[in-house]
Amino acid sequence: MRSTRLAALALTATSALVLAGCGSSGGSGSGGGGGALALPKADDFLSAPCPDVGTKPQGDKEFTYWSMWTADEPQGKVLSKAIRCFTDKTGVKVNVQWLGRKLLTQNVAPALNTDTVPDLFDQDISQVKAAVVAPGGTQSVEDVLDYKIGEGEKKVRDVIPATYYDIPQNKGADGKIFEIPYELLGNAWWYNKDLVKDFKAPATMNDLFALFDKAKAGGLAAVSQDGDINFYNAYFYTQIASRYLGPGGLEKVATDKSGAAWTADPNLAKAAETVEKLAKGSYLVDGWDAAKFPQIQQRWADGEAAYLFVGSWAPSETREYLTKQGGDKGLNYGSFQFPQPEGATHKVVEQLPIGFAVTAKAKHPEAAKAFIAYVINKDILAGIPAVADNLTPRAELAVPDDLKDVKAALEDPQAEHAIFMDGLDALAAGKWVDNVFYPLNNDLLKGKISAQQFVEGLAAKQAEFWKTTS
Amino acid sequence: MTSTVTAPEADEQHSSASGAHLVRKKRLFFPFFLPAVTLYVLFLVVPTIATVVLGFTSWAGAGDTPRFIGIGNYAELMGSDSFRYAFLNTLLYIVVGGVGTFLLAFLFTMVLRDMRGGKIVRAVLFFPNIVAPVALGMFFGIILIFRPNRQGLVNHLLESVGVDAVKFLAPENVTWVVTACLIWASSGFYITILMAAVDRIPPYLYEDADIAGATPWQKFRNVTLPLTWDVIGVAGVLWTISAIKIFELVFVLAGPGTYSPQIRAWTLGIYVFDRSFGTAGSPQYGMACAAAVVMILLVSVLVVLLRRLMRRDTIQF
Repeated sequence: MRSTRLAALALTATSALVLAGCGSSGGSGSGGGGGALALPKADDFLSAPCPDVGTKPQGDKEFTYWSMWTADEPQGKVLSKAIRCFTDKTGVKVNVQWLGRKLLTQNVAPALNTDTVPDLFDQDISQVKAAVVAPGGTQSVEDVLDYKIGEGEKKVRDVIPATYYDIPQNKGADGKIFEIPYELLGNAWWYNKDLVKDFKAPATMNDLFALFDKAKAGGLAAVSQDGDINFYNAYFYTQIASRYLGPGGLEKVATDKSGAAWTADPNLAKAAETVEKLAKGSYLVDGWDAAKFPQIQQRWADGEAAYLFVGSWAPSETREYLTKQGGDKGLNYGSFQFPQPEGATHKVVEQLPIGFAVTAKAKHPEAAKAFIAYVINKDILAGIPAVADNLTPRAELAVPDDLKDVKAALEDPQAEHAIFMDGLDALAAGKWVDNVFYPLNNDLLKGKISAQQFVEGLAAKQAEFWKTTS
Repeated sequence: MTSTVTAPEADEQHSSASGAHLVRKKRLFFPFFLPAVTLYVLFLVVPTIATVVLGFTSWAGAGDTPRFIGIGNYAELMGSDSFRYAFLNTLLYIVVGGVGTFLLAFLFTMVLRDMRGGKIVRAVLFFPNIVAPVALGMFFGIILIFRPNRQGLVNHLLESVGVDAVKFLAPENVTWVVTACLIWASSGFYITILMAAVDRIPPYLYEDADIAGATPWQKFRNVTLPLTWDVIGVAGVLWTISAIKIFELVFVLAGPGTYSPQIRAWTLGIYVFDRSFGTAGSPQYGMACAAAVVMILLVSVLVVLLRRLMRRDTIQF
C-alpha cells in the first residue's frame, strides 16, 4: 500500500494499515508510540556492534533484496542494520529496494518471468504461497536450515521451532519449504487490565459470554469490531470452526466442489451458532458496522468496549492512536485465546509467519541464503521485539510485555498451529472469500441470518462458485 | 481528412498560385498527421485491441505467457456474484446519479440565470470538481461517522434537531450515500456547462416570456430546455463516460480504503482494480481485461441510446 501505484490511496493508508501492515506499522510506535520504555532499547539495538557472520557466501559479491517494509518503519530499520552489518562482515553488497506490503502482486509476481527478479524478498507465507510459489517463482530454502547463524555451531534449525516453518502452507509443489520465518503474527482477544477488573481467562464458550455479559452489566459494550474489514469479521467463525476441524479442515470444506461439505458436518453449523449468539445478543458495540477502520478499535482503546479480537498488532496500533490523542495514558494490555467450544477436539492456535524467500531465478541465491541465516542471529533478530515490538520465532529472545500471552499460546506444546483463517483468503486468488464467504459471514455477524441459513447458504453459493471459477 | 487532400488535386490546373500553396499544404499533411495518428494508434487503438484480445486469455502479467481460454473469462464473469453487483451498481450510479445530477443542474440553471452573484455561486458550485475523489471519499467518511455520544458532523446536526442518528456507512445504506455524494460532487461541473449554454440564449426571449407572464418553470420548459438541448445531450454523454469509471469514491467510502470493499458495493472499476492489483495470488489481468471490455460495451450502448433519445432538429436562434 505504500507503492506509487496506490499513491492515491495514501490518504487512507496512513490511517488504515492492516494485517501484515499492522504487524508492524504501529511499531513506528517505538519511535512515536512505543513510550519511554521501548525507546532506549531500540537505540541500544541500533547502535550495538555487528555480530559475526555464521555462513559466508563463497562466490557472490552482491545480491538483490526487495523488501515488504519501508526503510523508515521499525522492521525496515532492523533490516537496514542487518544489511549494513552483513556488508561490513562479508563485503557482499546488498541492493535493497524498500517496496512496501504490495510488493508481491505489484513487483515480484510481474517480474517472475523476466530476468530482473530479486534474489531475496519477504512477506507472510500465505501471500507468498498464493502469489509467487503457485506460479513456481521460488526455490527451496530447506538448505538454509543447516546454515550456521554466527552463534558457535548453532544452525537455523536449532533455534527456530519446526512448528513455524514445517507446515503445509509453507511448502511448494516439491514438498520443500519456501520461507524461513523471522517474524510471527498471532491472533487474540485483547482487553485493558485496568478496565476489566477481576479477569479470569474463559475456559468455555459460556465463560466467554459471561465475560461479555459482565462487561455489558458494567455499562460497557462487550466487543469492538471494525466491521468494514471483511477478514476481521471472518476471524470469529474461522477461529471457532478450526477448533472442531483442526488445521487445514476449513480449507478442505471450502474446496469441496459440491458445497455439500458445509452441511455434512454438523459442527460447522454449531460453530456458526456461537457467532449468531454474538450477533443477536447485541454484544458488538453500537455502530460497529457503520464506521471506517480503525475507528472502532479506537473506541476500544478509548474504553468504550471491553474486548477486541484482532492480531498481535493490536497493542502497537492502539498505542500509536492513544499517543496521537495526547497524554500519556497507555493501556495495560492483556490477551487470551478463544476457549475450546463444546465438543471441539483441536486446540488450534492461529499464526502467520513472515519470512524470507528466494526466487527460482535468483542470480545470487548463495548470498541471499547466507543473509537469511545472518538475520536469524540473536543479535540481529532481537531488533524485531526491541525496535518493532513484534514476535520472533526464536524462543529465547525477549518478548514485548503486551505480547507475552500471545507468545505463550503459540508455544503451548499442545497447540495445533493453523494459518490465519486457515488460509481461506488465498483460495482462488481471493475470489472464494469475496464471493462466497464474506457476504454470508457478514450477514451472520450482523444477525441477518441464522447459523443454519449460513451453512446452507455457503453450500449453495460454493457449488455455484466452483462451477464457474477456475 | 482524405477528401481535403484529394480534392485539391483536381483543382490544381485552375490556378498555379493556389496550386503551389496546395502542394505545400499537401507536403505538410503527413508531418502533421503521422505523429498524431501514431500516438493515437500506439496508446489508444493498440491497447484497446490488446484488451479485447487479452480478455480471451488467462494472463498473470508481464512475462507470463497469455493462455487462450476462449470465452472462459466471460463465462466466469456472468456466473460471478461480485461481477453482477459491480455491473448493477455501476448502472445504478449512471442512471440514478445521472438523473439526480441533471435535476440539480437544471434547478440551478433556472435559479442562477436571474440571480445576483450567480457567477460567483457558479464558481463555488464547481469547487468539488477540483478536489480529488479520494479526498472527497475520506471527507465524507469522516463527517458521516456514526458514533453514539461523539457523532460525526452530519449525525451531530441530525441529533441536535431531534432526529435519530443514521448509520450512513452501514453496508445497506452506503450505495445511496455514495450516490448522494456523487450528485453533490458532480453537479457543479454540469451546472457550469449548462449555464454556458444558457448564457448564449438571447435575453429577449426571456424578456418576451416575462411579458407574457411565464412562470420560471414555463420559461425553463419552453425556452431554456429546447435551446440547450444539444448541450444537454453532450453533457449526458460526458456523464455516462465519467460515471462508468467510478472507483475512488466508492473504494474509500464503502470499504476500509486499503482493501476492496465488500462485493455488494463494487463497481466495474473496482472489479477491474481488484482483479489486477487486489488479488490474494497472482494478478488476473485476463479477467480484468474481460471486465474492461464489458465496460467499453456498456458505455457504447448507453451513449448510442442516449444520442438516439436526444436526437432532435437543431433549433436555430
